[in-house]
Amino acid sequence: MSEEEQSQEPRAVVRHRRRWSSVWVVPLVALVLAGWLVWKHYHDKGELAYVRFLTADSIEAGKTEVRCRSVKVGVVEKIELADDLLSVVTEIRIDPDSADLLRGGSRLWVVRPRVSASTISGLSTLITGAYIELEPGDGPAPVNHFDGLEQPPVTSANVPGLRLTLVAEDAGSLTANSPIYYRGFEVGRVERRTLDIENRRVRFDVFIDDDYSDLVRQGTCFWNTSGIDVTAGADGFKLSTPSLQAMVTGGASFSVPKGGVSGGPVTDGTVFTLFTDEDAAKKSIFVPDHLCLLFFDQSVRGLSTGAPVEFRGIPIGRVVEISFKHSPSGDSRVPVVIEIDSDTLAKAVENIDNSKNVLEECVRRGLRATLSTGSLLTGALYVDLDFVPGAAPAELARSGEYEIIPTESSGFAQLQDKLNSILSKIEALPLDETLGKFGNAADEIAITVKDVRSTLDEAEAALAEAKKLLARDETQNITAELEATLKEVRSSVSSLGPEGAVQGDLSRTLDELRAALRAFKTLSDSIEEKPNSLLFGRESSGNKEPKAKKR
Amino acid sequence: MSEIRSAADEGLASCHLCGKVSPVADEHCPRCGSRLHLRKPHSLERTWSFLIAAMAFYLPANLLPIMNVAGLGGNSRDTIMSGVINFWKKGDFLVAGIIFSASIMIPILKMIALIWLCLAAKGFATASPKNLARLYHVTELVGRWSMVDVFVVAVLVCLVQMGIISTVTPGPAILSFALVVVLTMFSAMSFDPRLFWDRHEKDAAGGSPATP
Repeated sequence: MSEEEQSQEPRAVVRHRRRWSSVWVVPLVALVLAGWLVWKHYHDKGELAYVRFLTADSIEAGKTEVRCRSVKVGVVEKIELADDLLSVVTEIRIDPDSADLLRGGSRLWVVRPRVSASTISGLSTLITGAYIELEPGDGPAPVNHFDGLEQPPVTSANVPGLRLTLVAEDAGSLTANSPIYYRGFEVGRVERRTLDIENRRVRFDVFIDDDYSDLVRQGTCFWNTSGIDVTAGADGFKLSTPSLQAMVTGGASFSVPKGGVSGGPVTDGTVFTLFTDEDAAKKSIFVPDHLCLLFFDQSVRGLSTGAPVEFRGIPIGRVVEISFKHSPSGDSRVPVVIEIDSDTLAKAVENIDNSKNVLEECVRRGLRATLSTGSLLTGALYVDLDFVPGAAPAELARSGEYEIIPTESSGFAQLQDKLNSILSKIEALPLDETLGKFGNAADEIAITVKDVRSTLDEAEAALAEAKKLLARDETQNITAELEATLKEVRSSVSSLGPEGAVQGDLSRTLDELRAALRAFKTLSDSIEEKPNSLLFGRESSGNKEPKAKKR
Repeated sequence: MSEIRSAADEGLASCHLCGKVSPVADEHCPRCGSRLHLRKPHSLERTWSFLIAAMAFYLPANLLPIMNVAGLGGNSRDTIMSGVINFWKKGDFLVAGIIFSASIMIPILKMIALIWLCLAAKGFATASPKNLARLYHVTELVGRWSMVDVFVVAVLVCLVQMGIISTVTPGPAILSFALVVVLTMFSAMSFDPRLFWDRHEKDAAGGSPATP
């Protein structure tokens, strides 16, 4: 470029070459590289999806990830309030590799930490925050606008398994995600719990893993194993608890109860009743195949849906519905819909071959439904089916899908029955024998009374003797003699007293004795001093010794 | 200014390698044998090309995330500018200022300065050679210090690898940023400040702009 060089080398070719020197490759490469970097960055950012949620709780722009089966496929970029101010719209940047997840039917929901006694799921979300789970649908791609789910959906329909519905009177502690056990082994779980407002029942959507779906058959009973069961029996108290986990989190078990019939396989969507406990399940070994309608002309207070329908104490069905909507207008009788298992009934009734017309035949033979009190404590009623002797002949009627079993009024007829049974009981009492025994007892009492009377006579005689004895003169004088004797005793005692003669003599004698003792003492003293005085006398000694001095 | 006589006027060239001044007619340095030029050959051309390359990389350097911090709090990808803004918002004005000046202001000023120098060498901008020389000096001196960012990221990437708790990975911008710094340094290095006074002498002589 320097001018000197140019002037020295004036060749055009050189100049041309210099103008396009190889140095210019650098910015060219740089431009291409930089452009490629920027393009790649934006290309790699992937597609945007807009998902609408009710709230953006625990979703954070730039942080919350979108995952599909725990694989990160995108990230939330922006959260904005929707125009209607009732929801939020999250902008999700889906990784370009996963762009085909955005298709029709894809479902998105927020996974938040959930810690329960049985499982701790989404623990990582406690620290990392919630994430959005994406479940790819099978619709056409690409779709960029979604409505997010507020609740995690039930297991994807793509996952093989059995989907059942359990219906229960009471939800208990069975909740979504509670396990379903088969002989204590977890084979599935509750996916959703909903309240069926129309029927006032709780419905559970249950998913049974594909591996275990064969275990569920027609006739399978489901029961709640959440609680602790305490039964008091002849052998004391028995406490049975489910697994600790089921106790805490709730759970349900199923099996075909003993004596029950394990039917064919069930299909998706089959509805089962969820019993409150195993006992209730065991008592209900029947497959209801008939829906019957009963019309009661009395109050059904105490009869609830699910109440048992029994044939001579064996449950063969249950009450399904109590509602006036089944009764023709103007009919004030209470219609009760029950479902019963006619097979069980057929087994119990003689000479029924055509199982299709069991009910018809039974009703012809006098099968009637009555309301009976199941528990005096609660006043709960159940429907009792039984052959009523002497019932008015009736036929099985039909009303739509229901068969109408005639009922027996539990008012008069039942009272009559009860009176009859009481009378027959009285009749059967062994009255004669009892009366005979009464006679014997009376005889024995008479004998006893006689004995008692003679004893009393003897006692009277003894008393008379005693009286006589007391009345005699000797007996009367005893007191005077006693008095005299006492007087003498008193005088002798008083003579002994300080003024008495005896005592005066005694003191005199004592004085003399004292004087004698004194004399003896003098004697013994003089002997001690001069033993020879015994021989020589007191004055025999020449040596006068002043005795007083010595003393 | 014509009383100052430059080496070029005497036909003397300093060796690029060892600095020995020899007559340019020798073509090769008698001491080290490298080629002799009066001025750096293709100086402006090289400066421009490196400068353009640097400017090309300046865009991705600022648009793309420079650092990925993945950890318990989730992922954060910061570009240089968003990092500066974050620091500013947190109240770390000093850190924000340092990063801003080292990573955004200095590269930009450097490029502007180089453009200006190139234009001045061509005679499209007027300034005293003294000021231009000072500008060039500052440009070359300060240039390498904007590598600070690259070092910071490199150090962080080495130090912060704690798995789930926190992991720092370099973003695509860091390469572009390093290239910006390196290319501006090349650009500044390949510029020959002696072109100023050649130009100045020409102007003073009343000559027309130099023919390349």
